[in-house]
Amino acid sequence: MDFYLTALLQGLCYSGLALGIYISMKIFNIPDITTDGSYTLGAVVTAILLTHHQSIYITLPIVAIAGATAGALTGLIHAKLKIHALLAGILVMTALYSVYLALMGRSNLPLINVSTLFNLINISADPNHNTFWILLIFVIIITLFIGYLLKTDFGLAMRATGNSETMIRSLGVNTDRMKIIGLALANALTAISGYLISQQQGYADVSMGIGVVIIGLGSVIIAETFINWLRLTSIWLSLLFVLGGAIIFQFVLAFTLDIGVNPIYLKAVTAVFVLLIVSLPRINFRTVK
Amino acid sequence: MKLLTYFSLILLTALVCSCHSGDKKTVPVVGFVDAFEDASIAPARTGFVDALKKNGFSEDQKNIKIEYSNAQGSIPTLTQIVNQFVSEKVDLMATCTTLSSITAAQKTKAIPIFMMVSPVVKLMKLEGADGKAPANLFGAVEDLNYIDTSFSNIPKFLKPKAGKLVIGMIYNQSEPQSVDAKNRIQSLADKMNITLIALPLNSSADAQLVTQALLNKNIDAFFANPDNTVFSAFETILKSCNQKNVPIFTSEAGLVQRGAVAAFGADIYQWGYQAGEQAAQFLKTHSTGGLQPEMVKVRTRVYNPAAAKKYNITVPSNFEAVK
Repeated sequence: MDFYLTALLQGLCYSGLALGIYISMKIFNIPDITTDGSYTLGAVVTAILLTHHQSIYITLPIVAIAGATAGALTGLIHAKLKIHALLAGILVMTALYSVYLALMGRSNLPLINVSTLFNLINISADPNHNTFWILLIFVIIITLFIGYLLKTDFGLAMRATGNSETMIRSLGVNTDRMKIIGLALANALTAISGYLISQQQGYADVSMGIGVVIIGLGSVIIAETFINWLRLTSIWLSLLFVLGGAIIFQFVLAFTLDIGVNPIYLKAVTAVFVLLIVSLPRINFRTVK
Repeated sequence: MKLLTYFSLILLTALVCSCHSGDKKTVPVVGFVDAFEDASIAPARTGFVDALKKNGFSEDQKNIKIEYSNAQGSIPTLTQIVNQFVSEKVDLMATCTTLSSITAAQKTKAIPIFMMVSPVVKLMKLEGADGKAPANLFGAVEDLNYIDTSFSNIPKFLKPKAGKLVIGMIYNQSEPQSVDAKNRIQSLADKMNITLIALPLNSSADAQLVTQALLNKNIDAFFANPDNTVFSAFETILKSCNQKNVPIFTSEAGLVQRGAVAAFGADIYQWGYQAGEQAAQFLKTHSTGGLQPEMVKVRTRVYNPAAAKKYNITVPSNFEAVK
């Protein structure tokens, strides 16, 4: 079961990304492509700071600020220049590629002999169990923070911006500012995912973000399926399902690898499994009637 | 409640299926990690398996099990593959290309890793504070010296159209060894009084555009630095270069087979074979004593007769025609 534990760890590392995508989907109802860039940015900033022997306490806020800056930039381009959010995200993501190459000066930076978040405190002797407990605490704190934020008046206004922009604007909310802040928040969370993953896998690589938005979207869509199916309205439960979605997504991949599928069909089989998970409630729905 | 049934179902299936990996191991297990699908890289695996076979370890004889996984170019998948082999406690891991080697080296310090198609540890930045490589790294590696020979061969084949020889090359900024090679060639070109025009190509989709941009700069030859983008977009590069009558030189035999004029460099099959021989020694002796990452031994000088004929190039006798 050790292998499934590592898949669970990877899923927990991606929970920041899933929460980030959840927020941007809630605000715009479109996927935010900046994700691919801000995720790698988070990993790159982490690798640079840690290899320069900075503490992880200093690294975390810097990573979050870097991600938030990328998101805010996408928000600015989208809200102020009236450019389609998808294109705005693509532009920022593309430009970020040069940023990480300039920052790292090379394409791959291994974390050698640095103290990471996962050997900060020793809860358990087994390193994987230790990582699990630390990740769990970390993810719980982040989820509590986001859940609380979404329940405040500010969070309500943010969610309403996604549901009905015209109405919320008529109530005197500055929707442009909402979008910029929302995207900054989403990408800060994504960058935190990069922060976790780079320490988990032991290196940052410029190509690690390619297609990572798919993982986030997959997680959120798995979560949405269950949220709609169970007709959930509670934010807390929704966030919990989003985290669950991220973990399920990694489990599906782990499961596909574990049953020893021919590597040629790896991606197709993974896709079929996700399709099954997402379509099961719908199939049931009809039969229950 | 149905939700719970689903979850328990999924978990149960996972449990049942994961049990098979807990079987008692009777034969040694090799976990082979490939980072992506590529025709030029594939011979490394064949070479590795052949070397094991020659040393008496083959799946036909049921005295070894080679579990092959390919990450299809996705880093999260690559990490999970390595995790799977680590948790299965395979006897050894074989890693093909740089990223597989780095991922494996960062994930386990106990399982011996036999690298192939990877650069020396120093180029991967995997050395510890004491300047030593991780103790579980073995296999066959390559530094940048061979590139000097490949590149300095070009003036032997070609005369410049005007004054100075102008050579174009593309490199992939997302691969450490590709950028290192480009810097190395740049300093070499300066010494040899050659003008080098290097453009970055980060995805094979832009290959045609970047190649055309180089060809517009009136280059005498094209140097194909063997990296993932060049491997996957080689036919595009070849087509554009052929239209403009610009010969391609490289440092990898597989690309000569695909239409480059000549190369001096590692033979990917032999590279895998060399790593396989080390792995076989480990399997026989059950110890890694006396093993360490070795430089690639077999480098070949090959040329493509059809391409050489097209450009009227006389090839030195120490080059052999590619099969």
